[in-house]
Amino acid sequence: MRNVCVIAGGQSQWGVRRATLRDMFQEAGKACFEDNPAVTNKDIDGLIVGSAYTERCSFQTHLAPLVAEHLGIKPKNLCLRVELLCATGSSGIMLAYAMIKAGEADVVMVIGGEKLYTPQRWEVNYSELASVDHDWDGAMGLGLPPPVFAAVAKQHMKLYGTTEEQLAMVSVKNRRNGLNNPKGQFREEIALETAMSARPIVRPMKLFDCCPVTDGAAAIILAAEDRAKHLTDKPLVYIRGTGQASMHNMSANFSNWTTWESLKVAAQQAYAKARVTPRDIDVAQTHDCFTISEIIEYEDLGFCRKGEGGYFIQEGKSDFGGQVPVNTDGGLLSCGHPFGATGIRQGIEIMRQLRGDAARQVEGARIGLTHNLSGFIAAHTVVIYGRDLE
Amino acid sequence: MNSVLQGRYAVTMDMWPLQSADFNRIHPFYDHLRQGRLTTTKCRDCGRQAFPPRVICPGCLSENLEWVDLPVTGRVLVATEEEVGVPVGFESPLIHALIDLGGQIILFARVKGCSTGELKEGDEVRLVVFPVDPLPVDGRKGETILQERVFFAFEKV
Repeated sequence: MRNVCVIAGGQSQWGVRRATLRDMFQEAGKACFEDNPAVTNKDIDGLIVGSAYTERCSFQTHLAPLVAEHLGIKPKNLCLRVELLCATGSSGIMLAYAMIKAGEADVVMVIGGEKLYTPQRWEVNYSELASVDHDWDGAMGLGLPPPVFAAVAKQHMKLYGTTEEQLAMVSVKNRRNGLNNPKGQFREEIALETAMSARPIVRPMKLFDCCPVTDGAAAIILAAEDRAKHLTDKPLVYIRGTGQASMHNMSANFSNWTTWESLKVAAQQAYAKARVTPRDIDVAQTHDCFTISEIIEYEDLGFCRKGEGGYFIQEGKSDFGGQVPVNTDGGLLSCGHPFGATGIRQGIEIMRQLRGDAARQVEGARIGLTHNLSGFIAAHTVVIYGRDLE
Repeated sequence: MNSVLQGRYAVTMDMWPLQSADFNRIHPFYDHLRQGRLTTTKCRDCGRQAFPPRVICPGCLSENLEWVDLPVTGRVLVATEEEVGVPVGFESPLIHALIDLGGQIILFARVKGCSTGELKEGDEVRLVVFPVDPLPVDGRKGETILQERVFFAFEKV
């Protein structure tokens, strides 16, 4: 089996975009190649495209050849699309990693994106009914569901004493970190009082507790180690291990709302394959779709003990200078969340942190982690990156 | 607008399930709803009861399933009220609750007919079945047949 490196990454501008899905794929592809001029579209022998809502919002299937054509890529080993809603980008990275590791491809671009703002805004929320179990949860009016995370938060607060202020601290931190990503959706800091007094979406989730709806794309290039050595003069960043788990889909089968068992399984798999422990992680990008998510992720990724996620943010342990800086480029709460691109954006930030050229650097970072949840907290995806192989 | 479609039905824009025997093998669920019953499938071979209803048992993969009744009243464990971003077709605030149906199953379901702040932890709720948009289906002679449909939620007792 071969070792696999990340050698380039870039993203389009994210936000409410006056652009089509294919426009943004072109922007992201260009930004990715510009990150590392030593690699060109002629070097790419595999293309994996990620998009969850391409059929719903752009009425377009068979996306990978379309993106290849627009980027001047002529893949000869693989050319396909992946979809796992909010974890689509990370799923593409996992698949590229496995294909390269197995020798089925050498240099693979993973590019993901979404065009979520349709000409009439009602369709944005309506489309989300397709993202949970349509026939059961969708018909109950659950989209990408603030009510679900509000129900999670209420239970976590009751069980562990987590406070609304601790939730708000997550959005204050991530908004501040958002200043590190010039292409993110929001680039303004917010005060704790602003977050606390914002209008409620589903109590206790208020405006700044929820990530926005976002148009955008991002691209990353993975290569076999022997090719990577010739295609970049920057420090090599390896993929060390991955894990992906799902133990339920419909709400009725979600047995524990405050301890995410499939996250623990996915993390355990990734840690074991990477031969590291939670204590070894120097920097992490976790799925902060809602503030409560990041708090539970501290716990179930093993950064702190169960129930202590609220204290972890309160004591600054997930901030720069803390035990493990989390969402150093602003996370979903600041950058936004175009489903197919999010995991790729996280991978790019980890690549930069481990190369040592991040906008705001975690000093000496050697091991990084990304995490996504998807759907009705129904699947979890964890990828571990490292500057070293051991 | 979109003159080509002229008001035609597109299944990708349908927020309700396809329910009839023409399109869905678990159609008895919806027949039972019309009778005021909330049901699901149980495996006659291994005894496992699943929700939502299936055509195979997720435990032993047997197709030897039977329909069983679930309780139609339950108790609220957690209630949420969505004030912003409610999907078209649903009232605002849109209220959901984790509902314990007699210790058999916990559903996260819509609760209709409550105003803001009305639904509380511990409240009793019961099944409510209501008509939803009928499904336009092509008939054999080119005519459009409307198939009636229903769905369910809960209401405060």
